Amino acid sequence: MQLVFSNVSYSYVNRNQAKAAKSRRKAKEAQNETEVAAWGNNPDQMWALRGANFTLNKGEFLGICGHTGSGKSTLIQHMNGLLHPTKGAVLLDGHNLAEKGSQEYCRKVGVVFQYPEHQLFAPTVYDDVAFGPRNMGLTDDEVNQRVKESLAQVGLDPETFNTDASPFELSGGQQRRVAFAGVLAMKPEILVLDEPAAGLDPASRANFLNLIADLHASGLTVVMVSHSMDDLARLCDRLLVLNKGRTIYQGTPAEVFSHPAELKKIGLDIPAAQRVANALKAQGVALPKELYATSTELAQDIATLYAAKHEEVEGGAR
Amino acid sequence: MDTNMIFGRYYAADSPVHRMDARVKLTLLLVFIAAAIFTQTPEGLVILIAFTVAFYIFARIPVRTALSSVAPLLLIVLLTAFANLFFVQQGAVYFHWAFITITERGCYLAVFMGIRLTILLFAACLLTLTTTTLDITDAFETMLKPFTRIGVPAHELSMIMGIALRFLPQFAEELAYTRNAQTSRGARLSEGSLKERVAALKALIIPLFTSVFRHAETLAGAMDARCYHGGPGRTRLNTPKVQARDFVAMAIMAVLVAAVVATNILL
Repeated sequence: MQLVFSNVSYSYVNRNQAKAAKSRRKAKEAQNETEVAAWGNNPDQMWALRGANFTLNKGEFLGICGHTGSGKSTLIQHMNGLLHPTKGAVLLDGHNLAEKGSQEYCRKVGVVFQYPEHQLFAPTVYDDVAFGPRNMGLTDDEVNQRVKESLAQVGLDPETFNTDASPFELSGGQQRRVAFAGVLAMKPEILVLDEPAAGLDPASRANFLNLIADLHASGLTVVMVSHSMDDLARLCDRLLVLNKGRTIYQGTPAEVFSHPAELKKIGLDIPAAQRVANALKAQGVALPKELYATSTELAQDIATLYAAKHEEVEGGAR
Repeated sequence: MDTNMIFGRYYAADSPVHRMDARVKLTLLLVFIAAAIFTQTPEGLVILIAFTVAFYIFARIPVRTALSSVAPLLLIVLLTAFANLFFVQQGAVYFHWAFITITERGCYLAVFMGIRLTILLFAACLLTLTTTTLDITDAFETMLKPFTRIGVPAHELSMIMGIALRFLPQFAEELAYTRNAQTSRGARLSEGSLKERVAALKALIIPLFTSVFRHAETLAGAMDARCYHGGPGRTRLNTPKVQARDFVAMAIMAVLVAAVVATNILL
């Protein structure tokens, strides 16, 4: 399963307006005014996404970050055909998701939206999780099987967990798990998560991120949108940084976070541990790693360096 | 969903109409509606159209904005026109088939009512296009004040109206969001059998309602935290004043009413 974004641009205007904008653009080009600023206060600058170009390979963990309004949500809505590109194409194993009859393919991509617990609606947890599989036209046995599996996947043991309870009686963290199971029950091959840990307390947050890491380890391809650079650095194989609809960085977390100044300019941070590491490196501490995603990693390396230094000093004194 | 499609969404601009006192605007709108309802002649409609266009020009509202804010409501106009067309049976018969009879009077009334209703919609839209919802609800409250003596809760009513207006776009947005989420879970909202559609609709409506209750609770908490206790004794940051431009508008409206009355009597 490979998802390819080929030069995808998207504009939130209706077709007529888009046409008018196109003719304006053409007139401008005719006057030899090459594309002025591509964002801001001009009628042509309505692009929510511009020229997104990347390939998501099987088994990958892709992180997407960017400031509010940078086009993250627009981007992920292209991944299961909710939005069709104004220009360019989204291909899943070579099939264009904008084409008719692409529903089968769109279902291979499961999208978990922000605050998925707000989408719960069924009278029981079981019915809510079964909503997706039932829509797929599966038999009751298959649905039952999938509900049990997916609830187990999110850490709600179907043996002890009461699936006849109303989803509205659960705690916030459990509600989110149930909503999450509702997407997993459709057995997607690519899982797209928009801010999966938003609004959770630190403990549930850590639990939830571990759950996502486990799902990835079990073979799912994962795309995660997050504001937390720490989470992204720790979990992702590759990062995509968006700013005003354009992809400004694409690469491993180590590559992306090697531009702290540029990221700061577009309102993004780098992982806290990396910030400390950068400050130490500037002071001449020879830290070996390029990227420190967690404070544990950093603490260990500092301890090693300290022990070595200590030995050296001790040795010299003797 | 395109939130711009919401009826008469405020159009920010600096114009004499925007700067008018909202209370005066609301009163004049009521006068205008009364005038439009009393109009009996085509000439009267022409006068109403001329004044509406003039006010739109004073308000500096682009033609496209004006049209797009009224367009979604034109269905009502069509329905009214059709009702007149089919149910008014007077004068020469133009067309007759089975139970459908179309008469001269019916045609005339369909066109006349259609135009009159369109004018009313444009006039009502002008108020919402040029006045923020906060100003409208404040105006509404002051106009209801006299009725508080007979037990009308003026402040509460206007607060309810203000909150309802404030949350309309919010819920429209959340509905679109839920729609995306449920579509991603394979909900078929625009296809399939009736049973499937009803099930899919439930998946939209229930999250919307829970969200309404959630917002209501948060809002109530926020109002409590600010010691909100309702109408009596509340003061205002900006007290509206009736100014010269409001008197000019009143004079224009008086001319309009006189003209409409004249057309009714003379023609």
